[in-house]
Amino acid sequence: MILHPTVIANLLAAYTSSLMLVYAAYYGLQILRHWNIESGSELQLILERKTYLVSTVLSYVFGLQLLSLFLFVFTADSLRTLFVGAMCAAGTLNVNAFGYPTLVLKVVNFVTSGLWLVLNHADNQGYDYPLIKKKYLLLIVITPFIVLETLLETAYFLGMEPDVITSCCGSLFSGEKKAGLGSELASLPAIPTLWAFYLTVIITLISGLVFYFKNRGGYVYALLSFALFIIALIAIVSVISIYIYELPTHHCPFCIIMEDYSYIGYLLYVLLFGGVVAGSGIGIILPFRKIESLKHALGGFINKLALTSVLMYGAFTVIVTYRIIFSNLIM
Amino acid sequence: MNVWIEKQRYIIDFTISSLMRRKVKNIGLLVLYTLIVFILASTMFFTYAIKREAAFILEGSPEIVVQNLVAGRHDLLPVSYLEEIKSIRGVANVESRLWGYFYDSLVGANYTLMTPPQNQDSHKNQGKTTVVENDNGDPHANHEAHALFEYEGALLESGTLIIGNGVARMRGIGKDDYMPFMAADGQIMNMKIVGKLSSVSELVSSDLILMSEADLRKLFGISPDKVTDAIVTVRNPSEIQTVAGKIKKRIHSARPIIRDEILRTYSSIFNWRGGMMIVIFSAAVLAFVIFAWDKASGLSAGERQEIGILKAVGWETGDVIQMKFWEGAIVSLSAFLGGVILAYIHVFFTGSAIFEPALEGWSNLYPNFTLTPFINAEQLTTLFFLTVIPYTVATIVPTWRAATIDPDSAMRHTGG
Amino acid sequence: MTLLSGIVLLGLLMLHAFTSSQGQEANLLHKAALVKQLRLTDLCLFTEARYTRHLSQADLNTAFQDHPLSMEHFPSGSFTQPNLPGITR
Repeated sequence: MILHPTVIANLLAAYTSSLMLVYAAYYGLQILRHWNIESGSELQLILERKTYLVSTVLSYVFGLQLLSLFLFVFTADSLRTLFVGAMCAAGTLNVNAFGYPTLVLKVVNFVTSGLWLVLNHADNQGYDYPLIKKKYLLLIVITPFIVLETLLETAYFLGMEPDVITSCCGSLFSGEKKAGLGSELASLPAIPTLWAFYLTVIITLISGLVFYFKNRGGYVYALLSFALFIIALIAIVSVISIYIYELPTHHCPFCIIMEDYSYIGYLLYVLLFGGVVAGSGIGIILPFRKIESLKHALGGFINKLALTSVLMYGAFTVIVTYRIIFSNLIM
Repeated sequence: MNVWIEKQRYIIDFTISSLMRRKVKNIGLLVLYTLIVFILASTMFFTYAIKREAAFILEGSPEIVVQNLVAGRHDLLPVSYLEEIKSIRGVANVESRLWGYFYDSLVGANYTLMTPPQNQDSHKNQGKTTVVENDNGDPHANHEAHALFEYEGALLESGTLIIGNGVARMRGIGKDDYMPFMAADGQIMNMKIVGKLSSVSELVSSDLILMSEADLRKLFGISPDKVTDAIVTVRNPSEIQTVAGKIKKRIHSARPIIRDEILRTYSSIFNWRGGMMIVIFSAAVLAFVIFAWDKASGLSAGERQEIGILKAVGWETGDVIQMKFWEGAIVSLSAFLGGVILAYIHVFFTGSAIFEPALEGWSNLYPNFTLTPFINAEQLTTLFFLTVIPYTVATIVPTWRAATIDPDSAMRHTGG
Repeated sequence: MTLLSGIVLLGLLMLHAFTSSQGQEANLLHKAALVKQLRLTDLCLFTEARYTRHLSQADLNTAFQDHPLSMEHFPSGSFTQPNLPGITR
């Protein structure tokens, strides 16, 4: 256990969001079971009021989720001085078996939480709670994951023993040793990966613009934006990072958030995460376009999402391209 | 989008004016909130600044220190060990250190007595280069004359001392004064002070007294074949760990301490200290959360009426929740900013005046030092998480309860 | 309004932090040079006991170092960590 202020802040955030979510999920369950918009019973009135509470709570929780994802990486990064051989977050996350699972779960939860907010916003456009059951079903699906995340995070921080020799990012994400996902990603050939990345970007952006202007191919774009998210993450590990570090052997996806690289990683990741949430969100709400009460409001919202997503991915690509062109590393 | 921004602006305007109307109630909350942020922020600024300072300063500490353990305590190291260590592959140089503690019963303070390394001359030049570097620094510091030793050409000889600034302050002595010591054999040694270590370096040198090797051996009665510990310089910095292992293997009673461990010790001490303080203050945060909950749920008649009227004139529940959200945001931000600013002033301008008695403990000699200000995003984010989030969580349910009151019942209750 | 002035003030303090850390660079270098020259290992923070004066040179049994039942009794012991990681050798 390391009693570090940032660790305490992390755990505090995790536990408050878990507790609030479980509280909200409890009412979600009630709504799923007893919701009947036609009825004027007292229970229905109470439930209608509770929806305000639940959506307020969840907006806070998911806002917290976003912040805590970054705080988590930040913490892992700043604890590196306590461990022999850890030079960045990659090393500290490897201190025990819970580090990487927590991170993966945080990313997954962040995306699903974002999707929930998109759904919630769409639902609020209609006067008769058209999506309420689907919304709360999704909430009940998300809750166990967030609770699991909290437990893993606790285990990770409690299990930290300072001065355990951990492998630093140099060996974890190096192309020479072939063990583990990190190394496999890193050993992907750089130039083809870069081509694959740009190809996906171009296809995704074109499909996004087609959808924005012509209103066609929404599902395709949702799918593509999810694919782009994954490919961009792979590309960061295998090729973009080495251009930013200007070192052909350094593949770490965490070092780019450090001060030495003027915190560029935060910008890149925010753009990427924003892009995937907005892009895939389209896929989630597209089926509900036909619903009577949402007909008018939803079209504009979907267009906005598409535009946001395209712009974010576009900005991501522009920054990455800029870094690659002006990098001193020539491949 | 513009419509949305306009709407929020009107809600914020309304919120501010309604906050202003209930000044007394809100000022109490604000003061407490600011105080909580202030305490936590002070702790964090202090520990982070000192941690960074320690990491920077101690970067120059010895690569490996070798102690001799006897019956589980450190003991004097036989000189013969030095040759033994020197013969290990990868060792560039071995030096001995001679130092100890001296309790001054006159003022009740502990001093650290120490013999400076032999090759004094080459290092004196280093001291001079520091002075040159300072010329482009701020003029105030220059005025102090940063030379490592504040005496001109007066080398430390037998019978003379160079004292740290804390010792000088404690005893009220300075250059050319005499300081008597009772040696181990009962003889009185009257030593002349020829210099004083600079006051800017107090964080590392406050309690130091430098004296020649012969004097120190006489004072403590240490025989010439013993030294306090040894310092090992390693040729290849990546081999420090290996060399330390070899020393341990060669000399079983040795306890090698490598530089990384020194740095990590300080890092974890201050992490621990900061975390400990926050755990202690968490009780205060909890009390504050209860207070905030209570404040938020105990709506006054006026407030109920206000919400009732707002809803009657067409505000939706969502709008009232938004208004309450902005209210919380305004209170939180003001308190957060206020607390952080006050903490900054407290730690970096007044030298953590509130913490000082706790840090001093029972020691009579405490260094006077100013910390180099250091704030980063990590500290501010952590602070935000530790203060704003508990407050926000505490106010959600009361906010919702206030926002969902029926307009007619709200107005009817207050009418009576 | 007060919020705005608070933000401005915080910005000024950040600026102060930035500029003064530039200014104090010389002081830091001076201290680091002294540490190097005198082969120092510790900060002079707590002078009340020998194991709190040189924290990194102390061992794990410092709290019991005088006799087996002598628990930690100096105030600064409550600030420093009970076990110093890595100093267990």
